[in-house]
Amino acid sequence: MRFIKALRLFGILAGVSALWLTPALAANEIVVGFATAASGFMQAYDKPAQDAALIRIDEINKAGGLLGKTIKPVFADTKTDQAEGAKAGLAVLDQGADLVIVSCDYDFGASAALQAQAAGKVSFFLCAESIKAGIPGVGPFSFSASVLAAVQGATMSEWAYTKKNVRSFYRLLDSWTVYNKGICDGFDWMLPRLKDATLAGSDTFKNDDASIASQITRIKSLPKEPDAIMLCTMMPGAVAAIKQIRAAGIKSMILNGSGVDGSYWMNAVPDLSNFYVPVQGSVYGDDPNPKVNEFNKKYKDVTGGDPSSQYVYPGYVLIDVWAKAVERAKTTEAAGVVAELEKMTNEPTLFGPRTFTKDIHHQNQGRYLIVDTEAGKPKVVDEWTISQKIPVDYLISK
Amino acid sequence: MSRSPSVIRQTIVTPIILIVVLLAMAALSYQFGSRAFNRTAIEMFINIMVVVGLYAFVGNSGLLSFGHISFMCLGAYMTAWLAIPPVMKSMTLKGLPAWLLHTQLPMWVATPISGAFAALFALIVGRIIMRLSGIAASITTFGLLGVVNNVYSNWDSVTGGQGSIVGIPPTMNVWIGWLGAAAAIVTAYLYSVSRSGLALRAARDEAVAASASGVDIVRERLVAFVVSAFIIGLAGALYAHFLSIVNPGSFYLRTTFIALSMLVVGGMYSLSGAVSGVVAMSVLIELFRNLERGISLGGFTVGLPNGAQEIAIGIITIVILIYLPSGLTRNREFSWRGWPLQRRLAQPVQTALKETN
Repeated sequence: MRFIKALRLFGILAGVSALWLTPALAANEIVVGFATAASGFMQAYDKPAQDAALIRIDEINKAGGLLGKTIKPVFADTKTDQAEGAKAGLAVLDQGADLVIVSCDYDFGASAALQAQAAGKVSFFLCAESIKAGIPGVGPFSFSASVLAAVQGATMSEWAYTKKNVRSFYRLLDSWTVYNKGICDGFDWMLPRLKDATLAGSDTFKNDDASIASQITRIKSLPKEPDAIMLCTMMPGAVAAIKQIRAAGIKSMILNGSGVDGSYWMNAVPDLSNFYVPVQGSVYGDDPNPKVNEFNKKYKDVTGGDPSSQYVYPGYVLIDVWAKAVERAKTTEAAGVVAELEKMTNEPTLFGPRTFTKDIHHQNQGRYLIVDTEAGKPKVVDEWTISQKIPVDYLISK
Repeated sequence: MSRSPSVIRQTIVTPIILIVVLLAMAALSYQFGSRAFNRTAIEMFINIMVVVGLYAFVGNSGLLSFGHISFMCLGAYMTAWLAIPPVMKSMTLKGLPAWLLHTQLPMWVATPISGAFAALFALIVGRIIMRLSGIAASITTFGLLGVVNNVYSNWDSVTGGQGSIVGIPPTMNVWIGWLGAAAAIVTAYLYSVSRSGLALRAARDEAVAASASGVDIVRERLVAFVVSAFIIGLAGALYAHFLSIVNPGSFYLRTTFIALSMLVVGGMYSLSGAVSGVVAMSVLIELFRNLERGISLGGFTVGLPNGAQEIAIGIITIVILIYLPSGLTRNREFSWRGWPLQRRLAQPVQTALKETN
């Protein structure tokens, strides 16, 4: 009985505490809202990019602020849940956010982005690489700070064809996420444009398959080993797949999307070689642009660790391009900022040029550095930009 | 023979109390709550619909069902097909028939249709599943959840596959949420006091005696299955309007276990239990989320580490069930002492069969 009384009291207190009001807004501040994951598995992607964004905000504030005002970041945890994502979006909007920054994945960031769109504010996906993260999936005020997955697939196949004389490709798709499908869609679009290139075969697996023995058997039973395998996959299943491919004695080049960037997993596949990944900037300290290496050092000073993968960088680019658009538009009003962003053509940023148009608020072409891993050591060997932009209609129709 | 008052007159105080209390919550939330808090309130009302629908089946038949969230999925996607503007549908859902691609219905029309669609599906599937008893039925409903989830995750041209589909008009607010919860409570209540509901409860408590008295157990279970599917289908439709995006992953294991735990914590065999379980858990979850966000004392923000909310809810659920194994309401219904001729909705009889539930 006392337990129930205590429960009732507890319940009433809980209900009352849940109604607390939100803080007030200062006049000389521009509020940037981060409706990102601070818990749940998306935190592993959101937090690094968020830290990079905060570094850029700090740089701008130290240089005098944006339009003379300090940028104030506010945060709301989406807990890697769609319903919570919408609430997180509303929570930052209620704190006066002029820009809502949302999770790295379309499915998890869309709910907060839709709230921002409905409120007439600009939303930016931290590093979403699906075409939906922008106009088609949210609305006219939504953008993404990263480069489309399809560009990664197209870049690797064109580079391997041109620089490494690869002529036969094998397409191995992990059908788990739209990101993976996006990489292979880009590959499918590029392949007919490569003269004399052939598709030796195609197969699919699921990210949580413990064994891809049957897929490997089919590769090994081809009359000739393919020159390259286009592996459209991401963590965590990518590691097991790569390990099994090499353990079976398949020596083909393995071409990937950016999702496998990073050396943190390479202990699981010792002495990995002939393995290529496209990145927007190098986390290994050998980026051709010395400013990137300086940024890596600053990131380490601020967060205590090196950037784990290239997915840190789009966070920095996000604040960079948005702040430039705000300066040019002389306002934080969505219509003005969006108009300035849509004028950007090959706008230089620390991690490659960015172009936005009124048809696409994402990158359907991008400069990628090619990272080659030999004997388990990754290093930048080349740079590539695909020769044509991938058409928006093709991407949306997939 | 003297005319005794009808069952409805004797027991109607329970749903009235529940609906009035929820109305008070809705009003408080609308008046004093921030926009984010109002969304929590709407989520709570939708959860009430789901758990009340689950109670309509689980509480009356005694069979634990893991598959009811599949009806939420069916309802949500049917609303998506009906309510998304044709321009957006034609781009991403090319496999839909042409008449469906060109239709756009308002929420008031699409929601009952979605509920009816889920009920129809339950009618077809239930004819087979309801012949099973005990744990076999529960595992089969689990299989149903798996099948629906797999079909919806992979039929890309019709459901958008594992990616989310957007574009459902965001027309939900606290009052519509309350209306949905009230509709669910009224439906479950009317079913419980009906002849079919009574027969099913008889079969739950003593299957052999009920069958010997002429109760067609399979038919009664099927009725409960269809009624609960309708309620949960409605909940799915409102959820789609609430979130504006649907994704098969939101209607799978996590939602199933949250709904079941809310029902068990509240009291599996009572309507008041279903509602109390949801309200109690929702309040606790919100409290812990606020604690995670932190309370500012002076210049500092003191808060629980992220992720503490899920752990705390788990511990609290265990503690509640240790001290109150039949749930918060102990399987009784709310009633008002001043109500004349009061009689509660019947609670389960203690029988030897109870251990198998």
